[in-house]
Amino acid sequence: MAAQMATTKVPEVRDITRIERIGAHSHIRGLGLDDALEPRQVSQGMVGQLASRRAAGLILEMIKDGHIAGRAVLIAGQPGTGKTAIAMGIAQSLGPDTPFTAMAGSEIFSLEMSKTEALSQAFRKAIGVRIKEETEIIEGEVVEIQIDRPATGTGAKVGKLTLKTTEMETIYDLGSKMIESLSKERVQAGDVITIDKATGKISKLGRSFTRARDYDAMGAQTQFVQCPEGELQKRKEVVHTVSLHEIDVINSRTQGFLALFSGDTGEIKAEVREQINAKVSEWREEGKAEIIPGVLFIDEVHMLDMECFSFLNRALESDLSPVLIMATNRGITNIRGTNYQSPHGIPIDLLDRLLIIATSPYTEKETRQILKIRCEEEDVELSEEAHTVLTRIGQETSLRYAIQLISTAGLVCRKRRGTEVQVEDIKRVYSLFLDEARSSQYMKEYQDSFLFNETTLDTSKPMTV
Amino acid sequence: MSCGVIVASGKYFCCNTVIMEAQRILEYLTEVEEAAEDILANKQQIVDLDKKRNMNREALNALKNELVSEEKVQVCFGNMFIKFPKAKTKEMIQQDQEQLDEEIHKLRNVMKDQLNHLNNLQGKPELTGYNLSPLSSDEVKAINHLLKR
Repeated sequence: MAAQMATTKVPEVRDITRIERIGAHSHIRGLGLDDALEPRQVSQGMVGQLASRRAAGLILEMIKDGHIAGRAVLIAGQPGTGKTAIAMGIAQSLGPDTPFTAMAGSEIFSLEMSKTEALSQAFRKAIGVRIKEETEIIEGEVVEIQIDRPATGTGAKVGKLTLKTTEMETIYDLGSKMIESLSKERVQAGDVITIDKATGKISKLGRSFTRARDYDAMGAQTQFVQCPEGELQKRKEVVHTVSLHEIDVINSRTQGFLALFSGDTGEIKAEVREQINAKVSEWREEGKAEIIPGVLFIDEVHMLDMECFSFLNRALESDLSPVLIMATNRGITNIRGTNYQSPHGIPIDLLDRLLIIATSPYTEKETRQILKIRCEEEDVELSEEAHTVLTRIGQETSLRYAIQLISTAGLVCRKRRGTEVQVEDIKRVYSLFLDEARSSQYMKEYQDSFLFNETTLDTSKPMTV
Repeated sequence: MSCGVIVASGKYFCCNTVIMEAQRILEYLTEVEEAAEDILANKQQIVDLDKKRNMNREALNALKNELVSEEKVQVCFGNMFIKFPKAKTKEMIQQDQEQLDEEIHKLRNVMKDQLNHLNNLQGKPELTGYNLSPLSSDEVKAINHLLKR
């Protein structure tokens, strides 16, 4: 049944240009808090981690109110305890208006850009500027265009344009310039048009529905719209939110605005940034712009090195600074590139500025819940016993491994034309794919038959990353 | 015996809260409807004013283009036509036009507050950013391709 449905669905899916793929955290829709900021046990894709979710909720409220900026939060915990999930939850609950930039710590290492440049670009991507555009437009359906050509053939043309909305109708006198742009846009009776009052720019919105039956043969691209309502001369206000980085890019002269689309922005000069900062604060003083401090999320923050950490220290003190959320799964370890040991691999002076949220390993019940949610997300039906077995696997190996098994077991099940994943399917994929512990066990046993086994692994020395 | 009394009084109490609840809901709905009504009334008023504005504009055009030679023109006041000097008429209409512009502007700003009030009552988030002053056209042009994404 499931297999059939899947096969019949395929042609439908092809029509959609943007197919949403199922990611590791696509089931997360928020932090799962109620109005009093108390975490619910299972909600919005989040399970357990009550204390850390509540903490994240408090921070979220402060971000929403705009009370905090230039603060930093560290989410620390073992691998697979939902650190990224909490960050995603924050991102989801912030809504579309607050900028959220996510990056991995290792993203800053690039040949084209210095590390600090990559970091400052990320910082500025996380700061939004809200601005308003206001235009007076005349919007209506063309009832009649009347153009008088002078008898001599030369000289200024004059004409009249009748426009209407559902409520009113009026006649405009046309100058030669307007006549020109009207004929350039091929405006005719029955079109719905807008005229920008300040610039005189005409744009065609489509043809009115009432004129839909005028001709039988019409181009495929003809779009039909309703006759506009209300007054003819309207005020259109549009509020835009752009990030500081975007403004930087279009003003970075050597690059031009095309750089925004090619993705390769290169380095942006410090002067450009200063100019933009000055302009934006001028706008803010004139009441033309609002700054929205967003969120910059750096995953695997232990991959940053000393330079980056000192940059962060400094950048957090700037008055245009977003809320910085970092996540790490390291314990006490070397700070990258140095021999100094520090908790989370982060220097003490930066740690001192952070609010630290800890996540703890999931209990069996929570693991079970998460697996259930993931099954729904991946559209796999799991029998009760298989669910128990999978939970057990999740507890003993890792949650990530168990989640990987869901889709693979689903595939095995579909192959044998079953509707529900049984214990056998789980067993089969469990034997096909090794988890981390079994794989290292295997390595130890058959070390001798692998290539390059002469180099003895020195396990006493910790790996330097 | 005493048990029955408790049940009865409990019932009475329950009934009372239901009535109070209904009363509260009714009051709330009235408030929402009133707020919505205010907005609709203002919207209609803007339409009416714009209608008048466009008629005035047509009249001004007519004075300029079609009635060039005339010394005096006939102006309709209420349901009476009165012959009036042209220059005087023009001035009068222009004054009216300015007043209309101002009034429409005022109404539009009031409507923003009213809409926010309505959203507030309905528990919807307020419109953000609409109280900003607009960018000048030069500034809009400068970041135009950011806005027209």
